Amino acid sequence: MHPRSPTLFAVLAIAGAAWIAPFGGADAQPAPAAAHLIPQSLQIEHRETLEQISLLARRKGPVGVAAAKVLVLYKRHAGREDEFVFPPLRLLPLLAEGKVTPDMAWALPMTDRVRAEQEQIFDEHTQITEALNELVAAGTKAHDNDAKEFAESAVADSLTDLEILIPTILLIGDTLHSKLPAAH
Amino acid sequence: MSGLIPRAVAVGGMLLTSLLGPAALAADAGAGKSAFQSSCSICHSVQPGQNKIGPSLFGVVGRKTGSVTGYSYSPANEAANMTWDDATLDKYLEAPRTVIPGTKMTYAGVKDAGKRGDLIAYLGTLK
Repeated sequence: MHPRSPTLFAVLAIAGAAWIAPFGGADAQPAPAAAHLIPQSLQIEHRETLEQISLLARRKGPVGVAAAKVLVLYKRHAGREDEFVFPPLRLLPLLAEGKVTPDMAWALPMTDRVRAEQEQIFDEHTQITEALNELVAAGTKAHDNDAKEFAESAVADSLTDLEILIPTILLIGDTLHSKLPAAH
Repeated sequence: MSGLIPRAVAVGGMLLTSLLGPAALAADAGAGKSAFQSSCSICHSVQPGQNKIGPSLFGVVGRKTGSVTGYSYSPANEAANMTWDDATLDKYLEAPRTVIPGTKMTYAGVKDAGKRGDLIAYLGTLK
C-alpha cells in the first residue's frame, strides 16, 4: 500500500486539476486567444475561406495540389491574423466615438507588433498571391471555374488587408499611444 | 538578286539590333506571355481600361508610373515619378519593393534576367 500512495496522490492531483481547470479559480486569467477575438465579420471570412480552400485541396490533380499549397500558407497567415493582427480592430467602434479607456491597453503590444512585422505580413500576402496564381493556372487548365473564382476573390481580400485593414490597425495603435496615460 | 535578299536581311537585323538593343532581340515575347499568364494575370488585365487588383497593363511600356485612369494606386506608386521602359521595368520586376518601397504589388519579383526580358518583351506588345 505504501509504495502506491504517491502514485495515487499524483493521479488524484491530475484528475482534480483537470476538473478545476475548465472552470478556473477566482484569479484565473482567460486564455489570451479567447480574451481578444477578432471582429465577427473577419471570423466569418476566415472560416469561409478556410472551408473553400479545404474543399479545393481535396480535389484530385493539379488543382488539389495548388490548393493544398494555398491552404498551408493561409492557415499560417490567418493564425497570425487571429493572434495579433486583427483583434485591435474590435476597438474601432469605440474609438470612432472618441472613447479611449485604459482597458484598451491590451491592444498596444499587438499594434506595435503589426508595425514591427509589416514587411513579414506583406511577404505572407506575396507568397499567398503567388500560390493563388498557381491555383488559377491549374484551374484554367482543368476548366475548374470554382478554383479560378475562389483564387481571384481571395487575392482581392488580400488587397483589402493591405490597403485598408493594416493601415487601420496602425492608426489604432497610434491613437492608443497618444491618448492613453503614459503609465500603460 | 538572290544574293541581295540575305544582305538586306542582315542589314535590317543590324538596324533592328541598334534600335532595340541585344537584350530586347534575345527576349521571347511568347515565353513572356506564358509567364505573364501564370504569374501576373490574376491581378493584371491586358485589356485597355480594365483594372483588376492591379492596373491594366495595356500600353504599360512608355507610360508614367501611377497614370492609369480609374486605378487607385498606392501613394508610393503615385509618387514614384518614373517612366516604364525596358530598364525601369527590369529593375522593378526584379525587386518591386526595392524600387518602389511601399508599393502594394504582392509580387516577390523575377530573379532570372532572361525571364524578366521575356516578360518585358511581352509587355511591349501590349499596345
